[in-house]
Amino acid sequence: MPDEISRFLPLSPAVLHILLCLAGEPRHGYGIMQEVARQSNGQYKLGPGTLYDNLQTLMTQRLVEEAPRPRDEDPRRRYYRLTGLARRVLAADVERLEAVVKEASLRLRGPRPRRV
Amino acid sequence: MRTLYRCLLCLHPPGFRLRFSEEMLWIFDEAGPALRRSVFLDGLASIARQWVLRSGSWKAAVAVAAASVQIAMGGLIWLAFRQTGGTSHRGPSAQDAAALADLMRWIVLLSGALVSLVAGVSVWFNKFAARRASRS
Repeated sequence: MPDEISRFLPLSPAVLHILLCLAGEPRHGYGIMQEVARQSNGQYKLGPGTLYDNLQTLMTQRLVEEAPRPRDEDPRRRYYRLTGLARRVLAADVERLEAVVKEASLRLRGPRPRRV
Repeated sequence: MRTLYRCLLCLHPPGFRLRFSEEMLWIFDEAGPALRRSVFLDGLASIARQWVLRSGSWKAAVAVAAASVQIAMGGLIWLAFRQTGGTSHRGPSAQDAAALADLMRWIVLLSGALVSLVAGVSVWFNKFAARRASRS
Protein backbone atom coordinates (compact mmCIF):
# COMPACT_ATOMS: atom_id res chain seq x y z
CA MET A 1 0.00 0.00 0.00
CA PRO A 2 1.46 3.41 -0.91
CA ASP A 3 2.70 5.52 1.95
CA GLU A 4 0.48 8.45 0.95
CA ILE A 5 -2.58 6.28 1.72
CA SER A 6 -1.37 4.21 4.67
CA ARG A 7 -0.51 7.29 6.73
CA PHE A 8 -4.24 8.12 6.96
CA LEU A 9 -5.22 4.66 8.20
CA PRO A 10 -7.07 3.57 10.27
CA LEU A 11 -9.73 6.25 9.86
CA SER A 12 -11.56 7.47 12.95
CA PRO A 13 -15.32 6.67 13.07
CA ALA A 14 -16.24 10.32 12.40
CA VAL A 15 -13.92 10.60 9.40
CA LEU A 16 -15.07 7.25 8.03
CA HIS A 17 -18.71 8.34 8.22
CA ILE A 18 -18.01 11.74 6.65
CA LEU A 19 -16.04 10.24 3.77
CA LEU A 20 -18.73 7.61 3.21
CA CYS A 21 -21.39 10.33 3.07
CA LEU A 22 -19.45 12.30 0.50
CA ALA A 23 -18.56 9.25 -1.60
CA GLY A 24 -21.93 9.35 -3.38
CA GLU A 25 -22.35 13.05 -4.08
CA PRO A 26 -21.27 16.48 -2.81
CA ARG A 27 -23.21 17.52 0.29
CA HIS A 28 -23.52 20.50 2.59
CA GLY A 29 -22.80 20.29 6.32
CA TYR A 30 -26.35 19.67 7.45
CA GLY A 31 -26.77 17.06 4.69
CA ILE A 32 -23.69 15.25 6.00
CA MET A 33 -25.09 15.25 9.54
CA GLN A 34 -28.40 13.82 8.39
CA GLU A 35 -26.74 11.20 6.20
CA VAL A 36 -24.45 10.06 9.05
CA ALA A 37 -27.51 9.62 11.29
CA ARG A 38 -29.27 7.67 8.52
CA GLN A 39 -26.25 5.44 7.77
CA SER A 40 -25.86 4.49 11.42
CA ASN A 41 -29.60 4.12 12.11
CA GLY A 42 -29.40 7.08 14.46
CA GLN A 43 -26.69 5.46 16.62
CA TYR A 44 -23.96 7.90 15.64
CA LYS A 45 -24.85 11.57 15.75
CA LEU A 46 -22.40 14.19 14.61
CA GLY A 47 -22.72 17.73 15.98
CA PRO A 48 -21.78 20.76 13.85
CA GLY A 49 -18.68 21.47 15.96
CA THR A 50 -17.34 17.93 15.49
CA LEU A 51 -18.31 17.91 11.83
CA TYR A 52 -16.58 21.17 10.91
CA ASP A 53 -13.53 20.33 13.00
CA ASN A 54 -13.14 17.13 10.98
CA LEU A 55 -13.92 18.90 7.69
CA GLN A 56 -11.25 21.49 8.45
CA THR A 57 -8.68 18.74 9.06
CA LEU A 58 -9.79 16.82 5.96
CA MET A 59 -9.48 19.94 3.82
CA THR A 60 -5.98 20.61 5.19
CA GLN A 61 -5.05 17.03 4.32
CA ARG A 62 -6.57 17.55 0.85
CA LEU A 63 -9.03 14.70 1.28
CA VAL A 64 -12.08 16.96 0.98
CA GLU A 65 -12.56 20.09 -1.08
CA GLU A 66 -15.30 22.62 -1.54
CA ALA A 67 -17.66 21.91 -4.45
CA PRO A 68 -19.54 24.52 -6.49
CA ARG A 69 -22.91 25.43 -4.97
CA PRO A 70 -25.99 24.51 -7.03
CA ARG A 71 -28.03 27.44 -8.37
CA ASP A 72 -30.70 29.08 -6.19
CA GLU A 73 -29.14 27.68 -3.04
CA ASP A 74 -28.91 29.50 0.28
CA PRO A 75 -25.49 31.27 0.19
CA ARG A 76 -24.83 30.05 3.73
CA ARG A 77 -24.72 26.46 2.44
CA ARG A 78 -21.35 25.29 1.24
CA TYR A 79 -20.92 21.97 -0.51
CA TYR A 80 -18.07 19.55 0.03
CA ARG A 81 -16.81 16.65 -2.07
CA LEU A 82 -14.11 13.98 -1.96
CA THR A 83 -10.81 14.25 -3.79
CA GLY A 84 -9.27 11.35 -5.70
CA LEU A 85 -6.88 10.69 -2.82
CA ALA A 86 -9.83 10.45 -0.39
CA ARG A 87 -11.48 7.79 -2.57
CA ARG A 88 -8.32 5.69 -2.50
CA VAL A 89 -7.99 6.16 1.28
CA LEU A 90 -11.63 5.21 1.81
CA ALA A 91 -11.28 2.11 -0.39
CA ALA A 92 -8.17 1.05 1.56
CA ASP A 93 -9.93 1.50 4.91
CA VAL A 94 -13.00 -0.43 3.75
CA GLU A 95 -10.69 -3.24 2.63
CA ARG A 96 -9.05 -3.20 6.07
CA LEU A 97 -12.44 -3.33 7.77
CA GLU A 98 -13.54 -6.23 5.55
CA ALA A 99 -10.47 -8.18 6.67
CA VAL A 100 -11.31 -7.40 10.31
CA VAL A 101 -14.93 -8.55 9.88
CA LYS A 102 -13.80 -11.73 8.11
CA GLU A 103 -11.34 -12.54 10.88
CA ALA A 104 -13.95 -11.82 13.55
CA SER A 105 -16.53 -14.05 11.84
CA LEU A 106 -14.03 -16.92 11.65
CA ARG A 107 -13.12 -16.60 15.30
CA LEU A 108 -16.69 -16.35 16.51
CA ARG A 109 -17.71 -19.36 14.42
CA GLY A 110 -14.85 -21.52 15.76
CA PRO A 111 -15.16 -24.12 18.56
CA ARG A 112 -15.92 -22.75 21.98
CA PRO A 113 -13.30 -23.29 24.67
CA ARG A 114 -14.08 -26.29 26.87
CA ARG A 115 -14.99 -25.75 30.50
CA VAL A 116 -12.56 -27.26 32.94
CA MET B 1 -31.10 30.44 22.55
CA ARG B 2 -30.06 31.52 19.05
CA THR B 3 -28.31 34.62 20.43
CA LEU B 4 -26.47 32.46 22.95
CA TYR B 5 -25.37 30.08 20.21
CA ARG B 6 -24.21 33.03 18.10
CA CYS B 7 -22.14 34.20 21.10
CA LEU B 8 -20.65 30.70 21.38
CA LEU B 9 -19.64 30.87 17.73
CA CYS B 10 -18.03 34.27 18.31
CA LEU B 11 -15.84 32.70 21.00
CA HIS B 12 -14.20 30.30 18.50
CA PRO B 13 -10.71 31.10 17.13
CA PRO B 14 -10.90 33.63 14.25
CA GLY B 15 -9.83 31.23 11.47
CA PHE B 16 -12.46 28.64 12.33
CA ARG B 17 -15.12 31.27 13.04
CA LEU B 18 -14.71 33.08 9.73
CA ARG B 19 -14.82 29.87 7.78
CA PHE B 20 -17.59 27.89 9.47
CA SER B 21 -19.68 30.04 11.85
CA GLU B 22 -22.32 31.00 9.25
CA GLU B 23 -22.81 27.35 8.32
CA MET B 24 -22.99 26.29 11.97
CA LEU B 25 -25.59 28.95 12.67
CA TRP B 26 -27.57 27.81 9.66
CA ILE B 27 -27.50 24.22 10.99
CA PHE B 28 -28.69 25.52 14.37
CA ASP B 29 -31.61 27.23 12.56
CA GLU B 30 -32.42 24.05 10.64
CA ALA B 31 -32.26 21.78 13.70
CA GLY B 32 -35.60 21.42 15.44
CA PRO B 33 -36.15 22.59 19.04
CA ALA B 34 -35.48 19.06 20.28
CA LEU B 35 -32.00 19.01 18.75
CA ARG B 36 -30.97 22.55 19.67
CA ARG B 37 -29.82 21.61 23.16
CA SER B 38 -27.39 18.98 21.85
CA VAL B 39 -26.18 21.37 19.12
CA PHE B 40 -25.55 23.98 21.82
CA LEU B 41 -23.58 21.51 23.99
CA ASP B 42 -21.61 20.46 20.93
CA GLY B 43 -20.78 24.15 20.39
CA LEU B 44 -19.37 24.37 23.93
CA ALA B 45 -17.18 21.31 23.35
CA SER B 46 -16.12 22.77 20.03
CA ILE B 47 -14.80 25.99 21.66
CA ALA B 48 -12.59 23.97 24.02
CA ARG B 49 -11.41 21.71 21.19
CA GLN B 50 -10.54 24.58 18.86
CA TRP B 51 -8.71 26.67 21.46
CA VAL B 52 -6.91 23.88 23.29
CA LEU B 53 -6.15 21.36 20.56
CA ARG B 54 -6.18 23.25 17.29
CA SER B 55 -5.15 26.86 17.77
CA GLY B 56 -1.90 26.25 19.62
CA SER B 57 -2.78 28.94 22.16
CA TRP B 58 -1.86 26.49 24.93
CA LYS B 59 1.76 27.40 24.21
CA ALA B 60 1.10 31.03 25.10
CA ALA B 61 -0.85 29.87 28.18
CA VAL B 62 2.12 27.70 29.28
CA ALA B 63 4.51 30.63 28.81
CA VAL B 64 2.25 32.99 30.80
CA ALA B 65 1.77 30.40 33.58
CA ALA B 66 5.51 29.75 33.82
CA ALA B 67 6.26 33.46 33.89
CA SER B 68 3.64 33.97 36.62
CA VAL B 69 5.16 31.19 38.72
CA GLN B 70 8.60 32.72 38.37
CA ILE B 71 7.38 36.20 39.27
CA ALA B 72 5.58 34.77 42.29
CA MET B 73 8.74 32.92 43.33
CA GLY B 74 10.75 36.11 42.96
CA GLY B 75 8.23 37.97 45.12
CA LEU B 76 8.31 35.29 47.81
CA ILE B 77 12.09 35.28 47.91
CA TRP B 78 12.12 39.06 48.13
CA LEU B 79 9.67 38.88 51.06
CA ALA B 80 11.87 36.29 52.75
CA PHE B 81 14.89 38.56 52.36
CA ARG B 82 12.95 41.45 53.83
CA GLN B 83 11.92 39.40 56.83
CA THR B 84 15.45 38.23 57.54
CA GLY B 85 16.43 41.91 57.53
CA GLY B 86 14.32 42.27 60.70
CA THR B 87 11.99 45.12 61.49
CA SER B 88 14.62 47.79 61.20
CA HIS B 89 14.32 50.36 58.43
CA ARG B 90 17.92 50.02 57.42
CA GLY B 91 17.03 47.77 54.49
CA PRO B 92 19.11 44.78 53.30
CA SER B 93 22.84 44.74 53.67
CA ALA B 94 25.10 45.15 50.64
CA GLN B 95 25.68 41.38 50.58
CA ASP B 96 21.93 40.66 50.64
CA ALA B 97 21.29 43.24 47.94
CA ALA B 98 23.94 41.65 45.70
CA ALA B 99 22.45 38.19 46.27
CA LEU B 100 18.97 39.52 45.51
CA ALA B 101 20.19 41.19 42.32
CA ASP B 102 21.84 37.92 41.26
CA LEU B 103 18.64 36.04 41.94
CA MET B 104 16.53 38.49 39.96
CA ARG B 105 18.98 38.22 37.07
CA TRP B 106 18.62 34.44 37.10
CA ILE B 107 14.82 34.67 37.19
CA VAL B 108 14.78 37.06 34.19
CA LEU B 109 17.24 34.82 32.34
CA LEU B 110 15.20 31.68 33.02
CA SER B 111 11.93 33.38 32.00
CA GLY B 112 13.56 34.55 28.77
CA ALA B 113 14.92 31.08 28.09
CA LEU B 114 11.54 29.47 28.74
CA VAL B 115 9.63 31.90 26.51
CA SER B 116 12.28 31.47 23.75
CA LEU B 117 12.00 27.70 24.08
CA VAL B 118 8.20 27.76 23.73
CA ALA B 119 8.44 30.18 20.78
CA GLY B 120 11.12 28.01 19.13
CA VAL B 121 9.10 24.81 19.56
CA SER B 122 6.03 26.60 18.22
CA VAL B 123 7.85 27.84 15.10
CA TRP B 124 9.39 24.41 14.52
CA PHE B 125 6.01 22.69 14.91
CA ASN B 126 4.33 25.09 12.46
CA LYS B 127 7.09 24.48 9.90
CA PHE B 128 6.80 20.73 10.41
CA ALA B 129 3.00 20.85 9.94
CA ALA B 130 3.36 23.00 6.79
CA ARG B 131 5.97 20.62 5.34
CA ARG B 132 3.73 17.65 6.07
CA ALA B 133 0.73 19.35 4.47
CA SER B 134 2.73 20.28 1.35
CA ARG B 135 4.01 16.71 1.06
CA SER B 136 0.45 15.37 1.10
